[in-house]
Amino acid sequence: MLMVFLLPLVSCVISFLLTDRYAWVITLTAPLLQLISMIGALIVFFSLSAEPYTLALPWFHIGEFIFSANLQINAVSAIMLVVVTVVSFLVHVYSTGYMAGDENNRRYFAMLGFFTFSMLGIVLADNLLLIFVFWELVGFSSYMLIGHWNQKPAAVNAARKAFIFNRIGDAGFLIGLMIIWANAGTFELRNLLLQTEVFSWQTSATLCIFCGVIGKSAQFPLFTWLPDAMEGPTPVSALIHAATMVAAGVFLLSRIFALYTPEALDVVALIGIITAVLSALSALVQTDIKKILAYSTISQLGLMVTAIGAGAADAAMLHLFTHAFFKACLFLSAGAVIHVLHQAQQQTHTHFDVQDIRNLGGLRKKLPATFFAFALSGSALAGIPFFSGFVSKDAIFTGLWNWATMGTSWRWIVVVSAFLVSFITVLYTFRLVWFMFMGEEKSTQALDVTEAPLVMRLPIIILAVASLWFIITINPVDFNGWLFQILHPGKYFHFNLMAAVSASWVLLALGTAHRMYRTGKNFNVKIFQRAFYLDFIYQLLFEKPVLALASFTDRIDRHWIDGVLHSGVYAQVTLAHIIGWFDKWIIDGSVNAVAATSNGLGSFTRSFQGGKIQLYIFWSIFGLIIFLIWMLL
Amino acid sequence: MAPIDHFLYLSAFLFSAGIVVVIVKRNAIMVLLGIELMLNAANLNLVAFNILQPGLFTGHMFALFVIVVAVCEAAVGLAIVLRVYQHYQTSIPDEIQDLKE
Repeated sequence: MLMVFLLPLVSCVISFLLTDRYAWVITLTAPLLQLISMIGALIVFFSLSAEPYTLALPWFHIGEFIFSANLQINAVSAIMLVVVTVVSFLVHVYSTGYMAGDENNRRYFAMLGFFTFSMLGIVLADNLLLIFVFWELVGFSSYMLIGHWNQKPAAVNAARKAFIFNRIGDAGFLIGLMIIWANAGTFELRNLLLQTEVFSWQTSATLCIFCGVIGKSAQFPLFTWLPDAMEGPTPVSALIHAATMVAAGVFLLSRIFALYTPEALDVVALIGIITAVLSALSALVQTDIKKILAYSTISQLGLMVTAIGAGAADAAMLHLFTHAFFKACLFLSAGAVIHVLHQAQQQTHTHFDVQDIRNLGGLRKKLPATFFAFALSGSALAGIPFFSGFVSKDAIFTGLWNWATMGTSWRWIVVVSAFLVSFITVLYTFRLVWFMFMGEEKSTQALDVTEAPLVMRLPIIILAVASLWFIITINPVDFNGWLFQILHPGKYFHFNLMAAVSASWVLLALGTAHRMYRTGKNFNVKIFQRAFYLDFIYQLLFEKPVLALASFTDRIDRHWIDGVLHSGVYAQVTLAHIIGWFDKWIIDGSVNAVAATSNGLGSFTRSFQGGKIQLYIFWSIFGLIIFLIWMLL
Repeated sequence: MAPIDHFLYLSAFLFSAGIVVVIVKRNAIMVLLGIELMLNAANLNLVAFNILQPGLFTGHMFALFVIVVAVCEAAVGLAIVLRVYQHYQTSIPDEIQDLKE
């Protein structure tokens, strides 16, 4: 287990230590180490027992408080372990093709390894403080990787934005940690989760931690960093901004699910569903491939968070698992399309935005394998029966339904919204596939496009196959399969009607989508396009006042503080002049006077000894005469 | 017999003249000359005071010694002056400044 945890770090260190001359070695070692790590994770997963396995590592102690860096493996973290290592391995392999020829390859693979390491840290840690540490580390590596192409100003800005938005959320996380420490007195999840009585401020503490989740998992109102983060390399978007890091928030929620009070859960569910609806609507009108996928990621994460708020944490984990694979596949295939189109563009010296779906179309003939993978994973995203997405969404809907029947009427709004989200999901997925692969070729007609290299195609195919239903359950209409049994042992409430409703709903949506987008017409709604002007609102609410405040304080600074400082400076200079005069004439003068006196005295006494013998004689006789006169008188 | 006072006056005058010569004259030979004058003044004193003890010749003997020593001294002094003159092309002590700081 420790090996699984540390091998990515080894990969990171190797990538850092090797010189540029041996950069090609990294493209071998990094995926290899990830492969070993992945195999280890699978072994851990299949040897999982009912009791959580804990590896106790003492960390440090302050006074009598002992902090331990325990690592724990339970069902949830084992599944997450597999997701992280598998996707990370495939992304590493893919990156060797995608990033070939990039001069900062070393830094890229180093950060990729470092990210995997920190992500595994979040997954394994059994201590909230330790989780927070790794939480920050993934934020850091995400920042580094988004800004990997640091010659692009957009990428740098996006990296900064992601970092700042995460920081806002993490401030909440930190406050939550303080509240927990003050009221529960421990960070050990083992102890925290076992205690039964509610400690004071528990709702506030959990909501504060949820703030961290809002930042990291890109929930409303902090989700706008994720679409911008698409400026990073596409494999990074697949690994970090679709499959793992943004899912860390969902993972954390389900990890500390037992701490959440019913009121806190209601807030979680509301935030989740708002995010899901808003970002699904935004995804509907975006034109950039990666932005569509980014908004769809936010929307799916919103669904997971809603499910957790509805008490179906295991359903959320199931969706996280399936989503990680099919979304990574979508991103990687989109990346493959972008990659090959870029290369084709460079050969023919044509220029158009290859990420804009309005320029694409009819690529199914030129890129059959990519199309196949994209269609499979897209179907999973849309939740079409016989794909993994259908099964996990079914689990979420069942959970929501259960929750709504037990509570007040507003919960039904959430359920209806969730259905709406799934409807829109079908629409935008269909639109994406249709615009990219179906219809007539547009700008790409003249390009000589060939399939991506094998190292890129293979991960895509593997992930595409993994978005079929059988990876989580044998029965394609019953989510209560082998994976769900691990998460939730025992019989789970399930009714087939839900699966039927869900399936027909998705098929209805598919029909609508076909009618809407068959002609290749593009609908554009400004408010969706701009993601409900959230960035604009932030600008208005925070940037403008902050800038105004800044210029105001600047003026105060210039007029008042600088004025005071300047007069102080003038006073000092005047004083310095006075002191200088005093120094020159009084202190130096007295010293010079002493020197001059001794000089005069010296030259006077010296004049007796000028080397003139006759003078000596004169003086001695003069002295003798004086002496004689004195003696005689 | 003249009183002893006259001898002493003469001797004092000679001595003073010797001192003045030693101090005032720039040439080393003249300085030596002044020294001879002073020695002779002393000799005069020695001989003059011998009047006070008739029958003894201590003063005269002493004067003879002094004359011999003065001769030696003059010889050595002149030899030095001669060497100095050969070396420095001058016999004026003020101009010989090699040992001065």
